[in-house]
Amino acid sequence: MKITMNQLFSKPSNWIIGLLAFVCVTTTSSSWSANGEELFKTNCAACHKPLENSTGPKLQGVRQKWEDGGALEGSIYQWVHDWQVAAAKDPYAMAVSKLKPDAMSKFPTLTVDDINSIFDYVDAYKAPAVATTDVATTGAEGQAEEGSGVWIWLILGAVFVVVILSIGGIKRQLSSAIAEEENKPAGESKTYGGELRAWAWKNRTYVGIGGFVVFVGIIVALIFALLEVGVYHNYQPSQVIEFNHTIHAGINKIDCKYCHNTVEKSRTAGIPTVNVCMNCHKGISGRDDAQKAKIAKIYDAAGFNPETGMYSGVTHPLIWNKVHNLQDFVYFNHSQHVVVGGVDCKQCHGDMAKEKTARVMPVAELSAIEGNIPLHQETLTMGWCIECHSQKEISNGPTNTIGSGYYNEIHNRLLKYDKELYQKYLADDKVTVEELGGWECAKCHY
Amino acid sequence: MSNNTSKVIANNKDMANNTTNTSSKMPEYFESRGETAPKEQTVAEFLGDDKLRESSTDRRDFLKFLGFSVAAATLAACEAPVIKAIPYVNKPENVVPGEATWYASTYYDGSSYASILVKTREGRPIFIKGNADYGMTAGAINPQIAASVLSLYDSERLKNPLASGAESTWSAIDSKITDSLNRIKANNGKIVIFSNSIASPSTLAVIEDFKKSFSSVEGTSNVELVQYDAVSYNGIRKANEASFAMNVIPDYDFSKAETIVSVGADFLNGWLLSNVYSKQYGAGRNPKSGKMSKHIQFEANLSLTGSNADFRGMVKPSQYPAVLAAIAEGVGAGSVSGVDTSAVKNNAALKEAIKSLLASKGKSLVVCGSNDVSLQIITNKINHTLGCYTETINLNNPIQMFNSEDDKVEKLVNDIIAGKGPQGIIFYGANPVYTLPNGAALAKALAKTELTVSLASWADETASVCKFIAPDLHALESWNDYNPRKNHYAIAQPTIKPIHNTASAQESLLVWAGVAKRAGRESKVYFDYISALWEKEGFTRQTKYADFYTFWSKSVHDSVVEMPADAATSPAFVASLSGLPIKKVSGSGNFEIELYTKSSIGTGIHAANPWLQEMPDPLTKVTWDNYVTMNLKDAEAAGYNRKMDQEHGASVVTIKAGNVTFDLPVIPTPGQMQGTIGIALGYGRAENGEKIGKAAFKTKEYGGYEMNDANVRQSIGQNAYRLTSFVGGALMFDAIATLTKADGTYPIAMTQTQRTAMGRNSITKETTLDIFNKKQKEAYNPPHLVESVEGPQSIHDITLWKEHPVENVGHRWGMSIDLNSCIGCGSCLIACQSENNVPVVGKDEVRRGREMHWLRLDRYFKSENEVAIGLNKKGIEDKYLEDNIEDNPTVFFMPMMCQHCNHAPCETVCPVAATTHSNEGLNQMVYNRCIGTRYCANNCPYKVRRFNWFNYPSYKKFTEINPSQDELGRMVLNPDVVVRTRGVMEKCSFCVQKVQAGKLVAKKESRPVKDGDVTTACQEVCPTNAIVVGDWNDPSSAVRSLSSEKRSYQALEELGVKPNVWYQLKVRNADNKELEKAQVVEEAVAHFLKHNEENH
Repeated sequence: MKITMNQLFSKPSNWIIGLLAFVCVTTTSSSWSANGEELFKTNCAACHKPLENSTGPKLQGVRQKWEDGGALEGSIYQWVHDWQVAAAKDPYAMAVSKLKPDAMSKFPTLTVDDINSIFDYVDAYKAPAVATTDVATTGAEGQAEEGSGVWIWLILGAVFVVVILSIGGIKRQLSSAIAEEENKPAGESKTYGGELRAWAWKNRTYVGIGGFVVFVGIIVALIFALLEVGVYHNYQPSQVIEFNHTIHAGINKIDCKYCHNTVEKSRTAGIPTVNVCMNCHKGISGRDDAQKAKIAKIYDAAGFNPETGMYSGVTHPLIWNKVHNLQDFVYFNHSQHVVVGGVDCKQCHGDMAKEKTARVMPVAELSAIEGNIPLHQETLTMGWCIECHSQKEISNGPTNTIGSGYYNEIHNRLLKYDKELYQKYLADDKVTVEELGGWECAKCHY
Repeated sequence: MSNNTSKVIANNKDMANNTTNTSSKMPEYFESRGETAPKEQTVAEFLGDDKLRESSTDRRDFLKFLGFSVAAATLAACEAPVIKAIPYVNKPENVVPGEATWYASTYYDGSSYASILVKTREGRPIFIKGNADYGMTAGAINPQIAASVLSLYDSERLKNPLASGAESTWSAIDSKITDSLNRIKANNGKIVIFSNSIASPSTLAVIEDFKKSFSSVEGTSNVELVQYDAVSYNGIRKANEASFAMNVIPDYDFSKAETIVSVGADFLNGWLLSNVYSKQYGAGRNPKSGKMSKHIQFEANLSLTGSNADFRGMVKPSQYPAVLAAIAEGVGAGSVSGVDTSAVKNNAALKEAIKSLLASKGKSLVVCGSNDVSLQIITNKINHTLGCYTETINLNNPIQMFNSEDDKVEKLVNDIIAGKGPQGIIFYGANPVYTLPNGAALAKALAKTELTVSLASWADETASVCKFIAPDLHALESWNDYNPRKNHYAIAQPTIKPIHNTASAQESLLVWAGVAKRAGRESKVYFDYISALWEKEGFTRQTKYADFYTFWSKSVHDSVVEMPADAATSPAFVASLSGLPIKKVSGSGNFEIELYTKSSIGTGIHAANPWLQEMPDPLTKVTWDNYVTMNLKDAEAAGYNRKMDQEHGASVVTIKAGNVTFDLPVIPTPGQMQGTIGIALGYGRAENGEKIGKAAFKTKEYGGYEMNDANVRQSIGQNAYRLTSFVGGALMFDAIATLTKADGTYPIAMTQTQRTAMGRNSITKETTLDIFNKKQKEAYNPPHLVESVEGPQSIHDITLWKEHPVENVGHRWGMSIDLNSCIGCGSCLIACQSENNVPVVGKDEVRRGREMHWLRLDRYFKSENEVAIGLNKKGIEDKYLEDNIEDNPTVFFMPMMCQHCNHAPCETVCPVAATTHSNEGLNQMVYNRCIGTRYCANNCPYKVRRFNWFNYPSYKKFTEINPSQDELGRMVLNPDVVVRTRGVMEKCSFCVQKVQAGKLVAKKESRPVKDGDVTTACQEVCPTNAIVVGDWNDPSSAVRSLSSEKRSYQALEELGVKPNVWYQLKVRNADNKELEKAQVVEEAVAHFLKHNEENH
């Protein structure tokens, strides 16, 4: 999901981040030629980074390093053109060629000026300021505002109780005054409780019925309350790596299906395997210590040594805590929903571009997401599934959409053999999953 | 010989005594039904436990604790349980988590062979079916092959190499074995590789390498390979040698034969490549074209093959020579001197056989099951005279399996026993201590042999007396290649990494020969060896592929490389029928024994497979046991129980043949020749409690093993291999014995106790080919009519129910079962169990009628009251007559599973709507709704619903038998199907998981569902393609057209439950004059037809 400018700048804190980022960009961009940056990014950035070792060594200060190391003059340019030629001529280049097993590509078209401008850019490069974005902190103020309403009710309630009690007290005093006047024995000055009991006894039919109604009401309320208990409500277990979806899916705009890559093929979306992480993280080892520590766990799992760029072959699987748990007696197939049903990931998982580690997003939050079918039953309950099935339409779009060849046949059979039923389906102007059997038990339970 | 059976009986008696002594004390808990509680007991007595009084917890405290724990449990339940998810580190390219990966491979265990497809889920093989696209078996398998996936996860399989019974390491045993071998070589001693038939060219090459390494100074090898099959077919090879100077087992083609005559050959179950023959046989049995093959069987036992025959002659095994001689004489093949044919001359089946063979000259096939070379020579002569050798038998494209050399084996074993044997013996694939008649003596002698090594995967009877066991990989873990038939090559590829620290047998041989080095679990030693051999031998012989890599990839992908078969020729017959020495089994007694192999247990390799042990025998319907099959009259005369069920056990007999004596229960079986009995091989394994698998032993009623006095697990049944004998250098599988009645009865677990259809014409329907060809459908397949005010009406037009909206709209899943093709092998039953995680319940539960099989095979014998199975004779109105089964009855097999009735009676009685009808015609079962009232089972007319009486995956009663109670065994479970818990109903779901998956494939490919997208497990493994599943609403589907075939009917159609299963009635290629008279269009039907015609 893209973050629109509106979303980004809807809060003062984000304004500051934006401003900071702007300042960073403007201050750093002034001191090198634009050509150097472009050349670096097109030719070198795949393997080299300015400040740290990647597939190739870090490049900042490399000119100086060669000079200090006693390299022949111009040797470094020759190296860029064809490292083998340079290694053959220059003993220093020869030594460099043996540092890493990966051979460097040849760039015979780059002129000396080009290369110099690249080095200029690299030498002037500064690490951008680390901006820890924290987008998902909305709603705190909203909750506080909502809370204030409760206090009013509590105060009103207290006032009400005081009023009732004072009226009761006045009544008592009045009745005792009357009793005194009528010279009745005032001895039986009843307690509040006694009086209540007497009153209840006098109106025992109504009190009995009322009591019963209240009792039943409480029981019903209790049952409903218990039904609301959801152990998976907003369930967000800790994870072996506090994976930040915001960075990956949000800022870097990596498609969900790149990592969860069996979602279109299989019943499971797939928890990314470490080799998928390594596609990018072979070169990205993290900016700060916190990130580095997280990414080090990937390296450890893959048996990768970032210093040497070598795999040891000793791997350790990462053990994640499962977030979206379905019972064993439920069969759910991701590919059915994503490929055939055309359901977007966010319908069930929320907008992960704005989330950190995965969680079972409460249904209210899911329903608020733009484009989602609004639902009411708690997420991952059967009610939630069938509620969606009763609303989700079977695609009746162009014939080239996935699944249409199949549904056309079903459609034709309806038209040919049971038009009445078809009309019944179309009473609400749509054919839903439910109408074609989406509520059948054996669709999910076997 | 131990007398296991009677001991059990003694125990039962003790129990019975217990029940009469009412003990005054309450047992701590009830362990068996023998224990009783006192009839009366005061509360004080009941609570009179001293320990209770000492307790400081009074009632109020108890309630407090109770309240607290309930509250605590409630609070704890509010916490979400943490479930771990562990993805791959590096995902293998061809694995998609959640999706099955199929591998083409090859199955071979020494007796069965098939090209197979193995279904793996996340790297675990969980299901095996035949490969219909490639290989000479064309997708046909048998129950043993389907069940073999379970043995991979057997927890008693060896996990490490063994030296003198103790776990060792490969390096340790390798050095010791190599030292011994070299010492033997230095002393010019002899080494024998004692193996079952080797069909693998690479393995033979490995053995050649091994031979070279241990050849003596003069260059002659000290190593000899002796091949031995437990059930030998050496007679066929020798007969072809004598007849045509070709030592081969020819390639038979049953599909081309119009007349099939079998003398004691169970060619649909166990005889040679029976799965291939089943497929061919089934192809010739479809009467749609008006023609079908005629099958005449002569045998003593009622075999699976005999039960499918059109004509069946009951003869004793000693009369087989007479039958063959009479046929030879009848078809003009000359007379056999010295054989008296008078006893069988007048056999009706024999006359039919001769008539039919002469009528279809050349297009016929005569096979004989005997291992006697003389009988096989007579068989060859008959086939040669009839001109079969260019039509149905191909000598030039022979089968390269079943290489047993009986005379060599006999000599070797006698040498070993006499102490003159080889100094080193390596056992590979063979288990002679169990399978040889003199196995016990062999075991003793082996202890004295200098070097004994077994390559077995289990510490079986032979392996456990060997000094070293170098455990072989399981077939699903290893590479191998096969050459099962000339010009036909196959590859077996691993479908899982080795689970244990085991190594391929070939690698072991190469290591000991000094040709290769151990390479651990990732070893590619044998793989490299095979691919090198294929590059050298296979790649050079073909021209299709230019580079080896493409050739090899294609070979592995298909698992088969087939080259054009050599054409059949009819060489001159060089043997003579005069003076043939007919082998006679020695011994005296009142019964002849014919030994046979069951479709489940086979030769005994799979005796520890609980699926196969619980698979009912197709004919006797007995599970978990070995027994004597005996003619009903013989049983009656001897006073043996004829009827047995949960309450009544079987009588026990003592069998005495020579110096072999043991007890077995008697199952009176229709169709058994009088004066003969049948005993199955493959039982009585691991008599000393060897570790061959948990399910190979008798279990107690409430869990745990039955132990003998020496505290050793007791094996199931008796080892009938002890009754085999070497006669004139040939292993014979018949014997003569004296039977005497032993004391007591023996409990028997049968899944079907009734034997006849009791005249229920709406369950079973059959006709003859003649009637089928000549008469209209209403004669042999009449519609069910209901009398109404408007006259007779079809049952389909009258219904109490609202029409279920499945017809024509959406899908309607239907199944057609061809009862003519169905041979009753039971592969479907095992496949269903494997696919749907059906639990194994054990003998005791089966006895209570609580077997869980979703699919059962009903078997009906013809009664004397019926003209054909299910059709009463005129005048016999009472359908519930005692079943007077015919002495030689015809048999009817009927696969029965949930019929998915559109008007399902089960659905209306469920109080919680746990079973409902889908809009695709499926009767759905919602386990988590079911509360276990079992009303549905009561209301099901087909009795196909199964109730989970126990928590089979965890209750201790099932620990020994249920694979899902085993850490390893659980691996075989299909993750797409839930494991049901206690207290819920379950039943055939039409493999709804496969229905859903099939639809999804069509949806993803954006096309309508077509035939083949949706298949059920039973359909996938049926060797004769009897089961067809599809969308009935698709007018072009196979099931739609089959449902309107002339043979098509529905079981219990008159109930109006409208099932979605259609049966194709059975057609016999036999004469039945009575049936012709009975199967005419009845008056009411004719009236109805006329009325219908007028209306349209």
